[in-house]
Amino acid sequence: MAAKTQIRKKKILMRTLMYGAITTALYAAVFSYASPITELFARGGFYAALPIATVFVFSFAHGAFSSSLWSALGIEAITKQAAKRKTAPSPRPIQKPRARLRMSA
Amino acid sequence: MIDHALDAAKFIDLTWMNVSFLFIVGFIGGLVSGFIGSGGAFVLTPAMMSLGVPAAVAVASNMCHKFPKAMVGAYKRYKYGQVDLKLGIVMAASATVGVQAGIKIQELILSKWGEAGSNLYVSLSFVAVLLFVGSYVFYDAFKTSNSEGGDPVPKLARRLQSINLPPMIHFKTADLTISLWFTIPVGFATGLLAATIAVGGFVGVPGMIYAVGASGLISSASELVIAFLMGFGGTVKWAMHGMVDIRLTLIILAGSLVGVQLGAIGTTYVKENMIKIVMGTIMLIVAVSRALAVPQYLNQLQLMDVDKFTLSILDMVSFATMCLALAVGAVIIIGAMLKGRRAEYAAQTSESYEHV
Repeated sequence: MAAKTQIRKKKILMRTLMYGAITTALYAAVFSYASPITELFARGGFYAALPIATVFVFSFAHGAFSSSLWSALGIEAITKQAAKRKTAPSPRPIQKPRARLRMSA
Repeated sequence: MIDHALDAAKFIDLTWMNVSFLFIVGFIGGLVSGFIGSGGAFVLTPAMMSLGVPAAVAVASNMCHKFPKAMVGAYKRYKYGQVDLKLGIVMAASATVGVQAGIKIQELILSKWGEAGSNLYVSLSFVAVLLFVGSYVFYDAFKTSNSEGGDPVPKLARRLQSINLPPMIHFKTADLTISLWFTIPVGFATGLLAATIAVGGFVGVPGMIYAVGASGLISSASELVIAFLMGFGGTVKWAMHGMVDIRLTLIILAGSLVGVQLGAIGTTYVKENMIKIVMGTIMLIVAVSRALAVPQYLNQLQLMDVDKFTLSILDMVSFATMCLALAVGAVIIIGAMLKGRRAEYAAQTSESYEHV
């Protein structure tokens, strides 16, 4: 059990370092050329795709890094499903009484 | 970090102080958003403007960070089984119409009473909506925490759910069935408020709780889906006008992506009621902050006579109160998380003793 926990911890640490390196590289790339990139991304029109694509890429790398970082620090969610509450029963349309065949005619 | 090549009227020079300030506000905003589904935006836009960023660039850059943050938060909470995707999408569709209506109202007020009139309208909407909704959310949280029966479905929601007005929609994760016609006004109001005060979630989450009947946990998680869809649409519009300052967006995003995950994790540690407590507290403090800004606009419209010194003091106190709202929210969240974590640890320890 302890060995398994150790392996898991090592995996999380490796993932944190990997995504941390990717995230740092991404930020370094943008901020090394901050002026031309900011100017290019603010040209409007079809250039609008550039900031949008950038934030998607950053949120993937940085999001994965942050998630691993909290796990590496031992802060993880308690696995539980959202509690279900009693709700009102689904309303049904008013039912008409069925037509009966009278046999005693 | 001085950018000589950039248009000084549109893009500010970045200093380490600016960067640190935006990163910290981004982190706290993300923490609150991950927990209650919205928040952060109301402080970030004025915070950027206080650094000298033009209003349009501040709004655009803030929105460009908001949708990826909401996406990451929604994904995280989806994994915990808290997101009702269908509810989020249905609400976002009607919220889009609400946003358009909100923009039209703003344009009308702007053309009639100018910028001061528009600012006064925004501040009064802030005060009225947040005081009313915030007080009710807070009262309800207090009432529920004192009752022993847990978190029941509110009366209004139960009543609306029992009305058969086709088309009826079943929301699987929220575990409820309600007519589409009752979700539309909630979504519309969310969009209307988002276009007016930039925080639609202050009506969206309470609306989903009290009118639709979803739990606080599911409402706040589904609000992140609405924030993602609306934020994405808004960003496309602003980016097409070339208003996004990618440097500001990435700095805030750096802080908020760390915060939003902590906020999402926090929801699994606390009782559902805590979401209402945090939301109600933030809403009431923000209402006070906006009320302090009202004399400035009344003065500009010549409806009130206030000297410059008093106005500048009021403006400063208003901004500080807004930051305080976010900070108080963050402290309550972290405090509740620590308490929940301690309780969980104690439960685990006692369980392991029983097995020995």
